[in-house]
Amino acid sequence: MKRPFYILLLIISTVLQAEAQNPAWIVPDDQKGKISLLKFTPDMAKQGEVIYMKNCQSCHGIPTKKNFAAIVPSPGDLSEPIVGNQKDGELFYRITTGKAPMPEFRNILTEDERWTVISFLRSFHKGYVQPDPEKLAASAGRRIKLSMVYDTAKRKIMVKAVELTKEGPRPAQGAVIVLFVQRYFGNMQMADPKTTSESGYAGFEWPQDLPGDKAGRVILSAKVSDPTGSMQEAVVRDTLSIGVPTDKPALTDTRAMWSTRDKSPVWVILTYTLAVIVVWYFIIYIILSVLDIRKIKELNL
Amino acid sequence: MDKIISDLSHHIRLNKGFFLWMGFLVLALLACTYAYILQLRYGLGVAGLRDYISWGLYISNFVFFVASSLVGMLISAVLGLIGLKWVHPITRIAETIAVAFAAVAGLVIVMDMGRPERLANVFIYARFQSPILWDVTVITTYFVISLLLLFIPMIPDMAVLHKRFGSLPSWLKPVYKTLSLNWTDHPEQNRIIHRSVYILLILIIPAALSIHTVTSWLFALTVRPGWDSTIFGPYFVSGAFVAGSAAVIIAMFVFRKSYKLQDYLTDLHFNNMGKVLVLVAFVYLYFNINEYLVPGYKLKRADAVHLSELMTGHFALMFWIVQLGGLLIPIILLLFRSMRRPLPLTLISIAVFIGAWFKRYLIVVPTMSHPFLPIQHVPENFRVYTPTLIEIAITLFSFILVLIIITLISKFFPVIPVVETARDKGLDPLKRIES
Repeated sequence: MKRPFYILLLIISTVLQAEAQNPAWIVPDDQKGKISLLKFTPDMAKQGEVIYMKNCQSCHGIPTKKNFAAIVPSPGDLSEPIVGNQKDGELFYRITTGKAPMPEFRNILTEDERWTVISFLRSFHKGYVQPDPEKLAASAGRRIKLSMVYDTAKRKIMVKAVELTKEGPRPAQGAVIVLFVQRYFGNMQMADPKTTSESGYAGFEWPQDLPGDKAGRVILSAKVSDPTGSMQEAVVRDTLSIGVPTDKPALTDTRAMWSTRDKSPVWVILTYTLAVIVVWYFIIYIILSVLDIRKIKELNL
Repeated sequence: MDKIISDLSHHIRLNKGFFLWMGFLVLALLACTYAYILQLRYGLGVAGLRDYISWGLYISNFVFFVASSLVGMLISAVLGLIGLKWVHPITRIAETIAVAFAAVAGLVIVMDMGRPERLANVFIYARFQSPILWDVTVITTYFVISLLLLFIPMIPDMAVLHKRFGSLPSWLKPVYKTLSLNWTDHPEQNRIIHRSVYILLILIIPAALSIHTVTSWLFALTVRPGWDSTIFGPYFVSGAFVAGSAAVIIAMFVFRKSYKLQDYLTDLHFNNMGKVLVLVAFVYLYFNINEYLVPGYKLKRADAVHLSELMTGHFALMFWIVQLGGLLIPIILLLFRSMRRPLPLTLISIAVFIGAWFKRYLIVVPTMSHPFLPIQHVPENFRVYTPTLIEIAITLFSFILVLIIITLISKFFPVIPVVETARDKGLDPLKRIES
């Protein structure tokens, strides 16, 4: 007797479960309070617009135009109050971490760039007043300076983290370092993040087969990964000649079907020219010989 | 001999019917010219063409024109070189159609250009790798060969008519005299004509195959669903023979009626052309089955979208009318001898001809309307292509131009070769000329 009830319950709970597949996007409380250390200015908003058009516009459309993409969940128009009423820290967190299908911009945009985008969005939000950055500047977290070298003997990239304190610089222990190498499209992360040792070093194994440019140069960048916000952003970029020298000509350097006229494949030029010459030789020959008909009088009759 | 000359040439005069018909054509042409002036002034936006569907009526029409012009090669070269005597009265009709359609095909492309004054750039910046350069080259070549194949066999006719056709309009006499090239049936002259025609007939086969194969490559050299096919060349060529044969049959019927050529374009000719049509239609049907069944069996994602749009979606009605009414039903009907009599055959040919035009539309437009990347953030008229009135008028312009060319050639020159007909009947046109 109770069986139909249980079956019904099972179905309903399954359906509800499916409905709940898309849980709310919750921002941790400690992240909500994060604010920009830069003052939002109209100039900054303009720079933000450039970054926005490159990274955000394809889904979110142009603010106020409501021309966002028709995907689920809806990206929405970011000039709306539902966005405007959120705190700076909430927006920053959402941009940083993303939530499928929205990508995370943690490694795509720097912190400053993310704030620049927010300053652009804020220019659409009526009644928004920016929290005073000055007050927070003092307690903004630890300041870290990074540097990197290649240790030939260990075949490792050594990233050194130094904390700048009032007493002077000292090795920063326990900072989580992420290393990237620049490829054709964006940055590729090398290995897992490493935590700095007592002496402030984090070592990354360097693969011996990674292609570099003609001279074996690769562009590396390391940064501190700090989701808690206890440290200020720290990034170091360097070009090191530690890749495998690779001299691949650009796709348009050699003769090819897709290249310019001057770089047509020889066989195409030859085939085309030869065919035209042969056919038009006969055409011109025929025209000339037909015109000769006029000259032939009734000589032999 | 006199009877043949008068039978085949009596229409060469300026009469009321001609003026009425030409007047109508020229007026219609002028009206359509206005549409083109609008397009020149306001740009291609006056047509239904947009970013995604940038090939529409014009390109479909271009493919159709190239296709229709191909029949000159089929009749003159393929059937002629085999030695079939019955095609002799039809060859000039076929070449006239070939010349007219090939001449206007190039113009249709210019009509599809937003900045036609930059046409020269096609040649100045031509890339040897580009099928567009190949297409321009082969169409020009094919047009010249067809023109020569129309003109050279006509040389003896000009001479005979100039000397023996009393009612040749006086203003046409110098034209005939010049074009006859002093032909006097001298053996050396005939040898030159015969050899020239022979070379041209061989030359036109690869040229004709090239024009339509290259035209098909304009599509098949991309990876888009519906175009990405290795059999597009023969698919287009066989389809071209269908359209062209239908055009020849329609022209035969019209000339037979209006120029009273019943004794020369007999039921036999219609019967045989009906057989030619059903043969090429079968070949085309075979390629159609390949073209839809093979991707339809595999149903790669993009192909599946394309095929469902064609067979059950937006284009389904047009697709099934074209495939059934323009190909399958005509094939079945033409298997019966009674359907290959002049009138029913002509009606069937008209259905085939119209079907062939819409078939080109179905090849060009559906593929353009679903690209690999989704169409986003665009107005509705970017997604669905609807030809505008101006566009239709400009397309009509090209058809009217073809009709004008065919009318002029057929009106002022014998439609059926005079000397060849006389020789086929064992008559000798030269004896009377000498006297």
